[in-house]
Amino acid sequence: MTKTAIVTGAAGGIGSVICQRLAGEGWTLIAVDASPRLADTVSILEEAEATVRPVEANLTTDEGLDMVGSAIEGAPPLELIVNNAGITRDARLVNMTEDEFASVIDVNLGAPYQIISRFAPMMKEGAIVNISSRAYLGNFGQFNYSMSKGALVGITRAFALTLAPRIRVNAIAPGLIGTEMSMAIPADVRERMVDSIPLGRMGEPEEVADLVVFLARPGYITGEVITVGGGRSLSR
Amino acid sequence: MRAVGIDGDYESDEPGLVFGATGIADDWPSIRSVLLEAFRLTQLAVVAEEPIVYVVSSDDLLGRNGAASAAVAAGLLSGARTAAIELAKAGLPINVIAIDDEIPGDQVKRWVQRMLEADGAQGELIHLGPGHLGKALG
Repeated sequence: MTKTAIVTGAAGGIGSVICQRLAGEGWTLIAVDASPRLADTVSILEEAEATVRPVEANLTTDEGLDMVGSAIEGAPPLELIVNNAGITRDARLVNMTEDEFASVIDVNLGAPYQIISRFAPMMKEGAIVNISSRAYLGNFGQFNYSMSKGALVGITRAFALTLAPRIRVNAIAPGLIGTEMSMAIPADVRERMVDSIPLGRMGEPEEVADLVVFLARPGYITGEVITVGGGRSLSR
Repeated sequence: MRAVGIDGDYESDEPGLVFGATGIADDWPSIRSVLLEAFRLTQLAVVAEEPIVYVVSSDDLLGRNGAASAAVAAGLLSGARTAAIELAKAGLPINVIAIDDEIPGDQVKRWVQRMLEADGAQGELIHLGPGHLGKALG
């Protein structure tokens, strides 16, 4: 029997590939994103004959969460949640506006917290994978983003304890991954960042997605944070 | 010094921000409210060029007291690390103290004072008590 996975941020560079990898493993997908570009991911999935229920919704609203709830109705058992949606609004702390802080916290932390709180009780078993960021270790100009991703690590640990042994909860902390978001970084800055990565390149979305697939399978790992950063956490 | 959420809120003439939060109600508005207050007060302290110490519970950091308290404790630690990077050149310290339940209040206050005067310590997580030993690092 097939199983259902919720994937948020499904229109993004990493989210779209996560959906594709999970579809390849036979999951029914509830693909969620606030952007109309979700249609691009859905087209790819349908071309691959995947079963997908797209939800174009803002997950910082009750209406958005209700829409995800409606999509779950009648679907195969929910056994996986991938909280991947995230935004950045970078600024030095002294210049950061309250709106820049709050909007990042709402999307990157509020949405995952509420999705898990609302939908994990429906899961008899399975896994939750939270896509954090290597920035949870600290990153210049990202007080809001870093705090949100660190808090996501915090709720990963807490839910790992409260949902055990039924559900395993883990986090992935990607570093510089080759997505549109990364390619928007000025080329000279990006080159300097790549120079500081021991493996000498950006990561690929597939390398994050493969880890999601691994953590979705039954196993003995819960409450952990796994960094996919090419060794960047060690270099100067 | 402005101290919030630590053994009762208090103020003194010394410079600095001490921000603590634990026992957060397990709902999103409560988490959001605490993090937003941390942001506002931290920004004020940075503008005023004052040292900052966040005080969290070790159990919160390890996720033992529910998702809301874990979110705030771990979020503060990550925020401190990022602020530390931004403030390093200015020599303005921001650090985090994680305390076990049984640590006496006066001991916490002594460590807060040390960290407000920290010379070179930047973005550090100081554990008071043995509760973190053999467990997940911050």
